Amino acid sequence: MLKGSKVILFTALLLLGCFSVVGCGKEKESKKTKIELVHYKPEAVSYFEEVEKKFNESHKDIELKISSPNDAMTVLKTRFIREDNPDIIGIGGEFNFSNFIDAGMLMDISDFDGLKDIKQKYLDINENLKFVPTKGTYGVPYMANAAGILYNKDMFQENGWQIPETWDELLALCEKIKKVGKLPFYMGYKDIWSCLSPWNSAASSLADATVCKDVNKGKTSFSKEYVTVAEQMKKLLSYGPKDFVAYSYNDACTAFARGESAMYMIGSYAVPQIKSVNPDMNIDSFVYPASNNKEENVLTSGVDLQFCVMNDCPNKEAAYEVLRFLLKDENVQAYMDNQNAVPCKEGDFTLAPMLDGMKEYIKEEKVTDFQDHFYPSEMAVDAMIQTYLLDGDTKKFLKKFDETWVRYNRDLIDKVKKYESEHQSEEG
Amino acid sequence: MKEGKKNIGLTILLILGLVTILFPLYMTVVIAFKQPSEMTNSIRGILSLPAHWSLDNFKEAMRVTDFWRSLGNSLFITLATIALSILVHSLIGYVLGRSKAKNKYYNGIYLYLVSGMFVPFAILMMPLVKQTAHMGLANEIGVILCYTVFFMPMNTMLYSGYLSNLPLALEEAACVDGASTWKTYWKIIFPNMRPMHATVAILTALGTWNDVMTPLVIMSGDKNTLPLAQLNFQTQFGTNYNLAFASYLLALLPIVIFYIICQKQIIAGVANGAVK
Amino acid sequence: MQENQNAAARTAGKKTKSKMNAKSRTFLLITIPIVALFFAFNTLPLIQGVVYSFTNFRGYGNYDFVGLRNYIDLFQDSRVGGSYIFTFKLAVVTTIIVNVISLLLAMALNSRIKFKSTLRGMYFLPNVLGGLVVGYIFNYFFTYILPELAKMMGFQGNSMLADSKTAWLAIALVCAWQSIAMNTIIYISGLQTVPVDIYEAGSLDGATGWMKFRHLTFPLILPFFTINLVLCMKNFLMVFDQIMSLTKGGPAQSTESISYLIYNNGMSGGQFGFQSANAVLFFVVIVVVSVLQMRFLGKKEEQL
Repeated sequence: MLKGSKVILFTALLLLGCFSVVGCGKEKESKKTKIELVHYKPEAVSYFEEVEKKFNESHKDIELKISSPNDAMTVLKTRFIREDNPDIIGIGGEFNFSNFIDAGMLMDISDFDGLKDIKQKYLDINENLKFVPTKGTYGVPYMANAAGILYNKDMFQENGWQIPETWDELLALCEKIKKVGKLPFYMGYKDIWSCLSPWNSAASSLADATVCKDVNKGKTSFSKEYVTVAEQMKKLLSYGPKDFVAYSYNDACTAFARGESAMYMIGSYAVPQIKSVNPDMNIDSFVYPASNNKEENVLTSGVDLQFCVMNDCPNKEAAYEVLRFLLKDENVQAYMDNQNAVPCKEGDFTLAPMLDGMKEYIKEEKVTDFQDHFYPSEMAVDAMIQTYLLDGDTKKFLKKFDETWVRYNRDLIDKVKKYESEHQSEEG
Repeated sequence: MKEGKKNIGLTILLILGLVTILFPLYMTVVIAFKQPSEMTNSIRGILSLPAHWSLDNFKEAMRVTDFWRSLGNSLFITLATIALSILVHSLIGYVLGRSKAKNKYYNGIYLYLVSGMFVPFAILMMPLVKQTAHMGLANEIGVILCYTVFFMPMNTMLYSGYLSNLPLALEEAACVDGASTWKTYWKIIFPNMRPMHATVAILTALGTWNDVMTPLVIMSGDKNTLPLAQLNFQTQFGTNYNLAFASYLLALLPIVIFYIICQKQIIAGVANGAVK
Repeated sequence: MQENQNAAARTAGKKTKSKMNAKSRTFLLITIPIVALFFAFNTLPLIQGVVYSFTNFRGYGNYDFVGLRNYIDLFQDSRVGGSYIFTFKLAVVTTIIVNVISLLLAMALNSRIKFKSTLRGMYFLPNVLGGLVVGYIFNYFFTYILPELAKMMGFQGNSMLADSKTAWLAIALVCAWQSIAMNTIIYISGLQTVPVDIYEAGSLDGATGWMKFRHLTFPLILPFFTINLVLCMKNFLMVFDQIMSLTKGGPAQSTESISYLIYNNGMSGGQFGFQSANAVLFFVVIVVVSVLQMRFLGKKEEQL
């Protein structure tokens, strides 16, 4: 019996040992202020490694650690649950960002001096992402993306095709391309998220930027606002591959790179993937001409990467120093070169060549945010669009869109209504 | 039984059937050796042999996944889980197997543990993340403990079932000789359950080695296991399938080698588990 | 067997009463820490999950209790309903495919053939591969190779994964490809328990082929059939990796499995509270299905 208890004691010790090993595993204390940055762009890891190195060489008192995890949102969320928040997070300007603000996770950084160099347009886009008007600035827009239509420049030149500027011109061009036996578009709609690329492009010109907020306030419905957008999506199918949900994003990139189609409706982020198949390809892009009124057409561009300081960051000044460093012109340019991105900072930067066709819009700030930045991811609008494209019934789709929207945004709509009524009573 | 004639027709049929097993593996190998520029969206682009048989993809994949470190982590987690499972589950399996028939409390405990098999991981995930973090277990140890608990229902069932093959007289004899229950267990029961240890080791190894989700959510970001490192190849906007497949092969290699070496035991072991 | 044990225990009890006490004390000392460990890493989080299912928790930040709202919503949500229908369809069909093929394969591999152990080894191989990797490999197969083959044979060459009518079948095939191995082995071990002379007796009666199987073999391996059925059903109801790597729920949301929905909307999306409720319901459903299966098959076993 004595032996029995001994072994049990041993097992208990073993388990205890497990715990204590962890306890001892803590890092050595150092006098430097530590700043940890976690971002969601693993594809830019080489850039961030370089920045980390340069920052730590030039800063004696701050130690910067940047991690670029895969599936960063899951990693971030599990870290939030663990109450093990990093100091700075690099995320996109989309629904998660709105949620984080709403949940009180982010620090108000209105006093950060670097904000004055950021283009007002992108600060406005960020402002618009708040569920209800809230005081404060919660992110520094760093890079924007631009979605439109990528095209095979050499193929266009050989055939003398012109860049279309209106919806009718686009359709005419597609007919021309079809006549020479080429496919106008390739589609990778097996990956449902890629359905959103043309959807966003069409919606930003055809629907108001505040559609989703207006719906939340009960002012309008998607059945009213999205009809043309949905119709255009359906129309474009006839210019794509027959089995449009058979191919994934990757397949579509490969096909476009191999010259199987003249155009591809996707963001500039696809260029590295396309070039990995065909490094010599000459790619350019133009704005999706959704409207027949040239003036109405805008470039779809939103905040692709921004830095937010977490609410419980103990060293605000050090975090600001990191942000300042990231915003240095040379670092901004380095990121642009690395990722074909559009800077959110004012200044004279060199854009990647495949953004040539969008330069004017970027310069004039004729841009509108992606509509899907307002969609909660669990609502799976992308999957709904795919369902619609297979089914083709616009009315049914938009009705479902309206119903699903209410269902998934119930708490939010309550919040907005409450805010509205409080606000009105204040005014009245 | 007479040494009958071998059924050649059936043998040929079975060999032909192997195509269904080997064809997907052939695809993986071929894609793993190609360069992205060799890929086309057609049957030929996928099935043709690569232009050069070079190990570049594998070298690159090993660099990206930090292969040796990830392999080390995977091995550590898998081996520790196996050891702990054999130790802990055989004990509880023994106790419950011997007691559940005559004691309703133990029977209750048995049912309680076995019903754990049906709990979907999804519901445990978030609370487990929080809990392990609070206990300072957001690391490999936490993952190992989680696995030990996840596999407990199945393994307890296997061990306690297998126990019915071992006659009670075996322990009684030792008991009469004056050995304590504890000593009897280690001297007599534990060695006698060896076939079941093999089964448990194999099933646990298979379940642990390929798992992505548990280490992904429990360990904080900077430590990788081999399957976790595979995620490196899947950023949303670009997947290098050639590298990815090379890396899948690398991740499969250890478990396939393990399988080839202990093939006989594995098949016998799995069979054992079923016989109970 | 059980009676023997009890009898043995009784005699042993009479002989050494104090020993028995020591034994039960040891048993208790073993049981308590292990059950505590199980409680800490299984039951405690489960309880927490149940608590979350009554909130509108997003997975972070602040949240409110919303009573039974999540559970009421569950029964009104068409997507959740769709996921249950899809998952059950998949699980039932795959379970049937797997068990039919495994049983045939097991009988073939158990008969007098050449290279017996090599063949057995090869057929077990899919089981050591991870579900995600297998999914990625089969993606290529379904997108490019199968359509081409179909065209060569004069069919329409569409990808199975691209059609909401066939995508679930493609997933079923991949699931089956992977799990046939394990089930075959279990059946083989079952077949090995069938004594040879039973067949000899059977052939004297003139029983052949199907009759022999139906009346001689099958009843004897029924316990193995039960295990396979229950485990298959449970595993396929929890299908996740294959969905993740093959379709991500598409096309047209036709292949969203319950686990996929719980993970995708609860973890990646902000529906943690609601999906916790879904997971609780799912747990209950799995337990009910498994218990029913075991009851039903248990009765069959008794009858025979």
